[in-house]
Amino acid sequence: MEDRKGTLYTYTVIHSAMDEFKSQVPYVVGLLEEEDGKRTVARVEGYRIGKPIRIGMTVACSRVDENGRRVYRFID
Amino acid sequence: MRRVAVLGIGETAMGKYPEKTLRDLILEAGTKALADAGMDRAEIQALYIGNFNGSHFCRQSHVGPLAAETLQLGLIPAVRTEGACASGSMAFRLGYQAVACGIYDAVLVGGVEKMTHCQTEYVTEGLATAADADLEVPVGVTFPSVFALMANRYFHEFGNARDAMAWCAVQNHENALLNPDAQLKKRITVEDVKNGTPIADPFTIYDCSLVTDGAVFAVLAESSLARSLSRKRLVEVVGCAQAGDAISMASKNSLTTLAATVKAANEAYIMAGLKPADIDLAEVHDCFTITEILNIEDLGFFAKGTGARAILSGATARDGRKPINVSGGLKAKGHPIGATGLSQIYEIVTQLRHEAGERQVMKADIGLTHNLGGSAATCIVSIFRGR
Repeated sequence: MEDRKGTLYTYTVIHSAMDEFKSQVPYVVGLLEEEDGKRTVARVEGYRIGKPIRIGMTVACSRVDENGRRVYRFID
Repeated sequence: MRRVAVLGIGETAMGKYPEKTLRDLILEAGTKALADAGMDRAEIQALYIGNFNGSHFCRQSHVGPLAAETLQLGLIPAVRTEGACASGSMAFRLGYQAVACGIYDAVLVGGVEKMTHCQTEYVTEGLATAADADLEVPVGVTFPSVFALMANRYFHEFGNARDAMAWCAVQNHENALLNPDAQLKKRITVEDVKNGTPIADPFTIYDCSLVTDGAVFAVLAESSLARSLSRKRLVEVVGCAQAGDAISMASKNSLTTLAATVKAANEAYIMAGLKPADIDLAEVHDCFTITEILNIEDLGFFAKGTGARAILSGATARDGRKPINVSGGLKAKGHPIGATGLSQIYEIVTQLRHEAGERQVMKADIGLTHNLGGSAATCIVSIFRGR
């Protein structure tokens, strides 16, 4: 799982969230291109305010959430 | 196909009406439209009404018969349409088609939404149902974040458009100052927009359209019938097309060219025998500031990647060469979701009749409305001509 990588096609930092996610703001949602070329919308963990994010940067899959969705994290 | 005209229009002022019911909003706007048409309500043969999420915001589904009863339209068929923020234009298009095809001679089309009485989080949840409930919402996607993903990709492909986005908000707020039905009459600056409360980067609160209660109706009639009933300038529907795209962001080919807009616009232009350059003014779906930039490019008014520059040059101002959202747009007139498409049509018809008062555009013979649903998964483009 740790080896699985994705590339940021685009992203946003969410500051205003629904109740369920309110405690997690600010958090990053990315539209990623996975290694097989498929695009997916996923959370990218490890964001802190001020961290520079670039389209094209590589992120790594860190875990699978309770719904079976891959969660990624910044690696630099 | 028969020719179809917009015979009458009516709307509530856009705003926050926690004390009013859906019925109240429908009654006010519908009664105004019928009076403006000068048509007996017994002549209305069908009703089409856009409503995005009354089931969530007001615990009211089946809005079709609710509206027909409220407006005393008797036993006519009443259809509620849902296409997220394009629900209203969808109602308009179905009514247009029915008259054009000769099924009916006169119909009432409209839209209504009431949401400002709900808590912000409940509104956010209701709006998020327009995004993909399996693939996106459980990840934490909000509706503004869908368009924020587009904005950051746009910056990557065409350069930073932050100033032009802010200017869209400033300009639409300026336009709304002259619209008596606008919800927000407040002058703002580029710095206000950039320094506002962050929502989803790069958006602040000022990049987002409003949460609005409101209703808008229009009477559509076969053209010769309309001409015989009205002494006002006849406004005909000369083009009307709908296109779709994937609902999920991951399945769209491009996030910087909205394919549904391009397809619907091309079909509407062909139907009308017109080109983008022929359009005198347009109301486009500025749900977020970046969307106004995407729209004016996708509609063919400006080449892809040049929309930001066009906006900063003043080309889309009320006195520019292509006035955009002179009503104040979703940003400042308001965004009563299910009624928004009709609210845009209300403005274009008012302008083509030369009844827009202080905000009247000098040359107003051909106008266009562009209404998006969800993540641009539905798009309806309509073209109107004053005769």
